[in-house]
Amino acid sequence: MELQILTKQELMEMERAPKTKADILVDYVVCFLPVLAGAFCLLEYYLLPNYEINTNTNVYGVFIGIIISLFLAAFIVSFKSKTVFNKLRYKAPFYSFVFILLTVYDFLTLKTGTLMLPYFPWADRVLNAMISDWRYLSDCAKNSLILLFTGYFSGAILGLITGIACGYSKKINYWVSPFIKLLGPIPSTTWIPIVMVIMASLFKGAVFIIALGVWFSVTIATITGISSVEADYFDAAKTLGATSRQLIFGIAIPYAMPNILQGLTQGMSSACTSLMVAEMLGVESGLGWYINWQKSWAEFSKMYGAIILICLIFIVVNKVLAIVKKHILKWQEGVVQ
Amino acid sequence: MTESILVLDNVSKSFARTDADAITHALDSINLTVRQGEFVSVVGPSGCGKSTLLRLIAGLIYPTTGEIKLDKEKVEGANPDRGMVFQKPTLFPWLTVRENVAYSLKVQKKYNDEKDEVDRLISKVGLDEFKDSYPHQLSGGMAQRVSLIRTMINKPRVCLLDEPLGALDAFTRMNMQDELLNMWRENSQITVMVTHDVDEAIYMSNRVIVMAPRPGRIRECIDINLEYPRNRLSDNFVSYRREILGMLDFGKKEA
Repeated sequence: MELQILTKQELMEMERAPKTKADILVDYVVCFLPVLAGAFCLLEYYLLPNYEINTNTNVYGVFIGIIISLFLAAFIVSFKSKTVFNKLRYKAPFYSFVFILLTVYDFLTLKTGTLMLPYFPWADRVLNAMISDWRYLSDCAKNSLILLFTGYFSGAILGLITGIACGYSKKINYWVSPFIKLLGPIPSTTWIPIVMVIMASLFKGAVFIIALGVWFSVTIATITGISSVEADYFDAAKTLGATSRQLIFGIAIPYAMPNILQGLTQGMSSACTSLMVAEMLGVESGLGWYINWQKSWAEFSKMYGAIILICLIFIVVNKVLAIVKKHILKWQEGVVQ
Repeated sequence: MTESILVLDNVSKSFARTDADAITHALDSINLTVRQGEFVSVVGPSGCGKSTLLRLIAGLIYPTTGEIKLDKEKVEGANPDRGMVFQKPTLFPWLTVRENVAYSLKVQKKYNDEKDEVDRLISKVGLDEFKDSYPHQLSGGMAQRVSLIRTMINKPRVCLLDEPLGALDAFTRMNMQDELLNMWRENSQITVMVTHDVDEAIYMSNRVIVMAPRPGRIRECIDINLEYPRNRLSDNFVSYRREILGMLDFGKKEA
């Protein structure tokens, strides 16, 4: 083999211990496992009789069916593509386990009634609730997202400004940091009762609460980042002709970027908490409110549906944040290979 | 272009200590004149204010008394005209090699006119392949080369080298001594280098300044009258070495 055209993939394979026939067989069985587990899940759902008056529809069946076909497709592609194979081989045991968990839950609720309604609706019921209410749910999701991002971005921008100003000027830091130290440790949700009374609109109040938490974590992270810049970098930049403005924007802020992004991530989780609490306590829209509202009607399936939706939204938001972070910090050791 | 001249007139520097109610006298009445085309090395035991001397010339700190003048102009604050290379490469980790080298041009808004110079210098030190690498991907020697051209791109009138090769292994070090000498010959800028290595000082400079500690002062200036490139094993080289090492030992005994 020519050394020049050796790919990373090939090198890693060369360095790994050679696989026996049995190893390869195990690999493919494991890769196929999710499909088997999914099929088991379907069989359990359709073949076992339901408990008493419990009913089921095809929604869950179709849902599981779609996921099984995705795994089947991945399995077929894995013969051609090494990357797909490696991913599938790594993830397959876990997803098989998830299918088993779903089967067990279905068995305990729909089939045997060990876990009773209304608190434990089976997955099919939750899916149906989500579908029947999707218009309303998506409206609530939209309102939640508007609230979340309005609060998050205003808090983040103000936090950056405060943090940079404090890191830049000792005078500003003198006046501002005691307040941060005093008010910072109080969870921002503490202020909800007061804010809801004082603020003109509940939306503004909720934005304020969300922004407060984000502002705090971003400010602290930015100050920490900027104050830890090694003096050598400033010296080097000065001898290269940087003005004090350029020292801040060209040296201090990039240097503090890992800290700032850490603060932004932390701010996001505090924003999500504040959002839910604010919606449950006062704001009359959004997913948090929807959950509370459905709970008061004992519509637990709808409530679970909303929780699943929240989960999905937060996963996506955090994933996007992680991608942005990885892109900005590509210069850090260990990020670029 | 007129010949540059750097003059230190009776320069002293004292620091207020943070750990005690006292002051440290880092440098005491330094008088020094360096002309264009001169390569001066500063050697001496640690604590004799070598680095302080460079930082004063760079304008990163101000003298307590006395004056530093470059071409009759008083030195005030840092300026790319007085470039400095540090012992640590201090490359900005968030910029690629190319961006690091271009940094100085960019902050001075000269980048568009001198873009080609960036690439020319990078190939000159043989780092074409690493243009788009980040500093953590470079070896110590490569990083220090980048740091060197990052400073040299300004064609400074004065080049200050604060133990630039101190952290490198012996082979890289000897190679880079020659690279540094080439750069100096090409631009013939005033060069002041602090080093711990007497051998390096004799190999590279026209003049070696031996300093003594507490307070830092100039003990002796020794002109090195040898042709470049110098032979480290020649009799003259060895006798300079003996002379300077003797002085440094003598300094220790006295302190």
